[in-house]
Amino acid sequence: MKKTSPGFGLGLRPQHYADFLADPQRVDWLELISENYMVPGGKPLAMLDAIRADYPVALHGVSLSIGSTEPLDRNYLARLKQLAHRVEPLWVSDHLCWTGVAGKNSHDLLPLPYSEEALRLVVAHVRQVQDLLGERILLENVSSYLEFTDSVIPEWAFLGAVAEQADCLLLLDVNNVYVSSVNHGFDPREYLRHLPGERIQQIHLAGHSDHGEYIVDTHDHPVCDAVWALYREACIQFGEVAAMIERDDHIPPLAELIAELDQARGIAAEAALAARAVA
Amino acid sequence: MSTREVSGLARVQVDFQHYLLNVASTITEQVRPGGRIPVDKRLGIYHNAYRVRLADTLRDTFEKTWIYLGDTVFEQCASAYVETHPPVHRSLRDYGAAMPDWLAAQFPDDPDIAELAQMDWQLRQAFDGADAEALSLEALAGLTAGDWETLGFCFVPTLVLCSLRFNTPAIWGALDQGGPPPTAQRLPVPAWLCVWRRGWQPHFRTLDETEFAALSDLCAGARFAEVCQTLSETRTDASTLIAHYLRTWLTDGLISGLAGVAGTDVQTRISHPR
Repeated sequence: MKKTSPGFGLGLRPQHYADFLADPQRVDWLELISENYMVPGGKPLAMLDAIRADYPVALHGVSLSIGSTEPLDRNYLARLKQLAHRVEPLWVSDHLCWTGVAGKNSHDLLPLPYSEEALRLVVAHVRQVQDLLGERILLENVSSYLEFTDSVIPEWAFLGAVAEQADCLLLLDVNNVYVSSVNHGFDPREYLRHLPGERIQQIHLAGHSDHGEYIVDTHDHPVCDAVWALYREACIQFGEVAAMIERDDHIPPLAELIAELDQARGIAAEAALAARAVA
Repeated sequence: MSTREVSGLARVQVDFQHYLLNVASTITEQVRPGGRIPVDKRLGIYHNAYRVRLADTLRDTFEKTWIYLGDTVFEQCASAYVETHPPVHRSLRDYGAAMPDWLAAQFPDDPDIAELAQMDWQLRQAFDGADAEALSLEALAGLTAGDWETLGFCFVPTLVLCSLRFNTPAIWGALDQGGPPPTAQRLPVPAWLCVWRRGWQPHFRTLDETEFAALSDLCAGARFAEVCQTLSETRTDASTLIAHYLRTWLTDGLISGLAGVAGTDVQTRISHPR
């Protein structure tokens, strides 16, 4: 059902264009923020074309707004399809969220109430996107800071139901599970236990900001120990899944991120051995 | 799906967005209470993140304007702009298009601020604007005398011309070098800012009224011969001047093609409207 894992990747950021063009880097694949390359031309697309020649890439969007009660944006989808045609991505992903209504866009990944109505809407929208792109997309669990009174099922159940009913794949953001587990007070391991592993195509790892009583998904720190521990659980439970580190702020030199990626490689390898031993 | 159910999700989203945009809403009642964090604080995380992200975008796009105004004034401007300009595009690249005009209204006695913001905006648009191959000087070598009668030019799609009232390019340049900007001074004669991208790098240059008139006429589709004729009506050195302009435009990478000559692509001009 899902594609074979391409290994361990990083989010491509402009700060690292020169490194990727100068020398081969110990990175198996790269993830692009789709919207950053939905531009008419210039350096971003030129860099993308040059780097794409040496690395497989995945497209990761932030503006699909799959859970909005507004119809999907046809113009946005056409541009996404055009970009996909250009880079021939490993896969295309976005978030289980909504970003705006009434023609406005908050540029934030806003949470959904996990209701029957939201489920039907998201499933219908995912099917429309997949019909247009001609392939399954991946939906990512977002970090959230509140829950709605209209929610009738847990997020993991909602994700699983969307994936099953729309026949899409999942992007498991381990940091987001951790962030939400702290903010809402649930057991992140239980969240993982309920996910359909056969549909998890990709894993995100990232850092966050600790505000004491809550934590915010800021992608501006290294991955923390608790998230590494949860990643190990995910590796044991789901086996070999493409994993990558997202860093969007306080972006360090590439070598530092590659060292962090080595930590992920090490944990995945150790978890594979542990899983085999148990089996 | 019943109408009642549809309105449930739509209501949550409209109310949530109203809350983000400081419009009165009942969103608080729709957020589950309980836990360590009060509902207001949970909502506040989104309220704050929305503003921070957009203000960061404005700081990035209007970098020189930010330095020019200083942190405090720019932050105040960005906050006020964000409150009245909810984003309507899918990409943050498009956020801030109205900022120069907005600054002009906010600072009626200091129009240099809006002009600097306009320059920031145009350079940012040129950065990832549409690609085009610049024409080389040699492309004119084979033209016949008859060709020069009908010749026109196509320009790179990132080319824009904006009027200047102040020494804004000097201010922008000084800030770009990390130095103190010169005092804003009203220009004694009309001038225009020409912005375009060459390779991957946005460029700019100041044009006087004569060069602007020639270039803008050609951009609008005038034949080169027409522009030469117009120029000769006011200038005795018209042929020297236009030859100099043309060489500069070609070496600067402003021209992307020939039009009006057999064997050239007239369509290029039509497909690159400005």
